[in-house]
Amino acid sequence: MRHYRKTAFLFLAPFLTVFVAFYLAPVLYAVYLSLFVRKRIGLGPPKEVFGGLENYLRAVQDTDFLNGLKNMLVFGIFQIPIMLGFAVLLALLLDRSRGMFPKICRTVYFMPYGIPIAIGALVWGYLYSANLSPFNQILAALHQAPIQFLSPALVLFSIGNIVTWTWTGYNMITLFAALQNIPSDLYEAARVDGATPWSIVRWIKLPLLIPTLTLLFIFSVIGTSQLFTEAFVLRPLGYLADNITPNLYLYLTAARDANYSYAGALAVLLAVLIFIISGPFLRGIGSR
Amino acid sequence: MAVRQPQTSTIAAEATTGSTEVRAAGKSDRGASPARLFRNLLLAIFLIYCVLPAAWIVVAMTKDNGQLFSTFGLWFTLPMHFLENLEGLATHQNSIFLRWFGNSLIYAGSISAGATIICAMGGYAFSKYDFPAKQFLFNFILGTIMVPSTALVLPLFLMLNKIGLVNTMWGVILPSLVNPFGLYLMKVFWDASLPNDLIEAARIEGAGELQIFSKIGLPLIQTGLVTVALLCFVGAWNNFFLPLVVLSQDSLFPLTLGLNVWNSTSANAGGKPVYNLIATGSMVSVLPLLIAFIVLGKYWRGGLTAGATKG
Repeated sequence: MRHYRKTAFLFLAPFLTVFVAFYLAPVLYAVYLSLFVRKRIGLGPPKEVFGGLENYLRAVQDTDFLNGLKNMLVFGIFQIPIMLGFAVLLALLLDRSRGMFPKICRTVYFMPYGIPIAIGALVWGYLYSANLSPFNQILAALHQAPIQFLSPALVLFSIGNIVTWTWTGYNMITLFAALQNIPSDLYEAARVDGATPWSIVRWIKLPLLIPTLTLLFIFSVIGTSQLFTEAFVLRPLGYLADNITPNLYLYLTAARDANYSYAGALAVLLAVLIFIISGPFLRGIGSR
Repeated sequence: MAVRQPQTSTIAAEATTGSTEVRAAGKSDRGASPARLFRNLLLAIFLIYCVLPAAWIVVAMTKDNGQLFSTFGLWFTLPMHFLENLEGLATHQNSIFLRWFGNSLIYAGSISAGATIICAMGGYAFSKYDFPAKQFLFNFILGTIMVPSTALVLPLFLMLNKIGLVNTMWGVILPSLVNPFGLYLMKVFWDASLPNDLIEAARIEGAGELQIFSKIGLPLIQTGLVTVALLCFVGAWNNFFLPLVVLSQDSLFPLTLGLNVWNSTSANAGGKPVYNLIATGSMVSVLPLLIAFIVLGKYWRGGLTAGATKG
């Protein structure tokens, strides 16, 4: 076997090269950067000097960042269960259906996933916007006040709707595939024992969906923590706070304020937080 | 591993045959019952929700900018301006939209081809060879999916800046070649599609390792190659954050970025609003994916269901 080690490495080399250069190195660089602070010494322009954990101390006291995290948390607590709930419901409904209509549903439900998020968010932005929204056109025809979808009170909900629209079908297809993998003998046996359709769902299908659901949950947590494009695209169309998501705040800290070391510290904190949240679930999958 | 084997082969089998026909699972339903009616109603409501934005685009494509604001957004108005919008799209700002479309094709095409080859080779190494710390390395690479993209892209920008790749196509293409999920998929496909006995037999016949990979392996794994290539293509076509950070010259933009620039200049005071062109451009930029999605539907599902059966 030793003989083939070199061959194995040659096959791995292209992946490892780009992985180290464009994935690992930037992350390590972010950690390194985060240890520096920008200080003005004397009259000269500000300089990057070593600051140890100063950026991190600043971050945990930065109310803008903490409010961004809070938005992320509130968003996740509401949006993820709603999206996964719909996905489970639709997958169960489609699992029992035959014919043309369910087949069309399966294809169409999945389609939003194939649409670039930047485009999907743009179109939803127009459906939300004060002047273009057909919803508000209907309300106006009924002499009702328009809904300000992009106002601070509703904007998280509006972003949540875009995310739900994009990903429910994807989650549904994955759950649907898991349901299709359940051997039919299980149902036969249950039916011989007099199980009702509902008890088959409750005691066979749902428990067997748990591993897939856990995985989708982790993907959703990661997705929530990376929320950026939707908020960025909606910004020109309404008032969105800089810290509506932590990632937007991070991006603006780096791209607008050019404070890369502080942005690096925020990025590291965010990554650690995601790891802490999804770690236990990952271990749950690993032990299976 | 012993447990995972039959499941992974299901994925490959499904991807190969494209069979997602409902098997004898669940109770079959005959005739119209209130329960069935209710179920179809629920399915139909969600169907409308899914196509709503697409319906708005289709209608918006036929209107000029004034009509977009003055007429009902979900129904057509005369006179139609569809052809004018297409012409406007092709000519606005010195035909820059066509350039963006070409750029998107270059980005998605080269990333998809490059990442697929790299993942196929890497997946082969993880599937067919033994080397020290193999399992650890594999888990580590997969674990990096959790790193937020901002944590990656912002320092990446600084690094690319130092080596002069900022504001070049390479600055978008090279970092996108890393695809941990593609590597995972390729390993699964290699596990399922190329029996180890076949490799042993070929070795006894005197075939070289690279020969085994390219002459015996690759033809057996075509489904996997198409699946990963498709996922990479879609990922690259849809990418927004990396080009946003790396590119500042609009002649290098992909479609996603370009249309959003039009959107923000349309919203600015002083900018000429071109919402009609943005709507038309949105449809044009989604079309290639929708076609690929319908034509190659079975490969999408092959890639996705790998997530379902993992674990």
